[in-house]
Amino acid sequence: MVKNVLCGVAVIALLAGVAAGQSAGKPAMPGLDATVTKVERAATASLRDCPPGSNTVNATTRPGEQFALVTVAFKVASSFQPAQMKRPSITDAADKKYNTAATFVDVGKVPEFSCTFPFRVPEGTKLKALQIESASYDLTSLDSK
Amino acid sequence: MEIDRRAFIASLGGAAAVNLMDHEAKAEALEHYMEEKLDAMVAAQQPEKFPTVAEIEAQIETKNFRRGAGGLFASGRGNMQKLPPMPAKPTLKDFFELRFNPANHVLQSATRAMKTGMSEEVTLACLLHDCVLSLIKPDHGWWGAQLFEPYIPEKSAFAIRYHQTLRFYADDDAGYEYPDQYYRIFGHDYTPPAYIEQTYKMLKNHKWYMEPRLVTVNDLYAFDPNAKVSFEPFEDIVGRHFKQPKEGLGFDNSPSAHMWRTLSRPDQPL
Repeated sequence: MVKNVLCGVAVIALLAGVAAGQSAGKPAMPGLDATVTKVERAATASLRDCPPGSNTVNATTRPGEQFALVTVAFKVASSFQPAQMKRPSITDAADKKYNTAATFVDVGKVPEFSCTFPFRVPEGTKLKALQIESASYDLTSLDSK
Repeated sequence: MEIDRRAFIASLGGAAAVNLMDHEAKAEALEHYMEEKLDAMVAAQQPEKFPTVAEIEAQIETKNFRRGAGGLFASGRGNMQKLPPMPAKPTLKDFFELRFNPANHVLQSATRAMKTGMSEEVTLACLLHDCVLSLIKPDHGWWGAQLFEPYIPEKSAFAIRYHQTLRFYADDDAGYEYPDQYYRIFGHDYTPPAYIEQTYKMLKNHKWYMEPRLVTVNDLYAFDPNAKVSFEPFEDIVGRHFKQPKEGLGFDNSPSAHMWRTLSRPDQPL
């Protein structure tokens, strides 16, 4: 009986860990840990590279569009080997892909940073996942629209 | 709403002034301060109101220079400064240091091209793409290409000439967004003239489309007031791809030599 209860607790803990793992950090590439921290919607987006500087140019939506702003926190481990990285993309509930204009530049110059990637989407688009290199991050729990 | 206690007290004239206030006055001052803060927060959330083409045109007669005058020839901020003399046989680097200076935008643009692994032709085009704005602004893509064409690879000149056109057209696949600064400087209801549209149609099917497109992509991300950039990282690329004339730029009888001389001596009356 005690063994069964302990086993049940362990399974629940394991499942909770898997669920939490979707929003907790996981490597976008070896030595680069990424965690999606926020999904917002906005009419304008600041155009900055990742890691971000202070670029002052913005982009504005057209009627019927909005920017889905996906914020990702990154941690760089000492094992990280700097390399050219592809721009991230997102998919919606119907698996349609959307690109961002933001690019990774000089990843590894700072050990921790946060980037907000703007994706131009039709208003009300339900987001499913973010792709960075070969890693995929669930967005459904963070996207309230 | 979070209230910065120090800022609030300072807005009332400091702690001594606050001590002279009774409770009711303090409560009123706080309410007033919070209303102002709220108004400011709401205003900050409103999208910027961009001018119309007609509003921009109405500004023409409010200025004593034309918007198209090159940076060396007109200033919206006070009087002109004397320029340092150019060496007898000026190089591209001399022009960067003495005439295009600070050239922050083009240096940022080229730095980004280099860091993202773009070709040397594209990096060079990014470095040179807006230099001609010191001379003239309208059609700066064409003027810029003409200025550099005798000295640089054909692909780089192509990229400089046509980045001006592609700046008006977003390209999702390449990561180029139409920038809000264009709403600000051309008007939110601006449509590019017919020759730009025709050029765009030509470029879409051109085998070198990506060269000017990559210049626009880097262009977009090169307006960082805090970026630290310099000419030095590009000296090798310039050495490999820029045919520096031994007589000096302006004195080699090239088709654009007169443009270099004008940049050298913009105070010449004739």
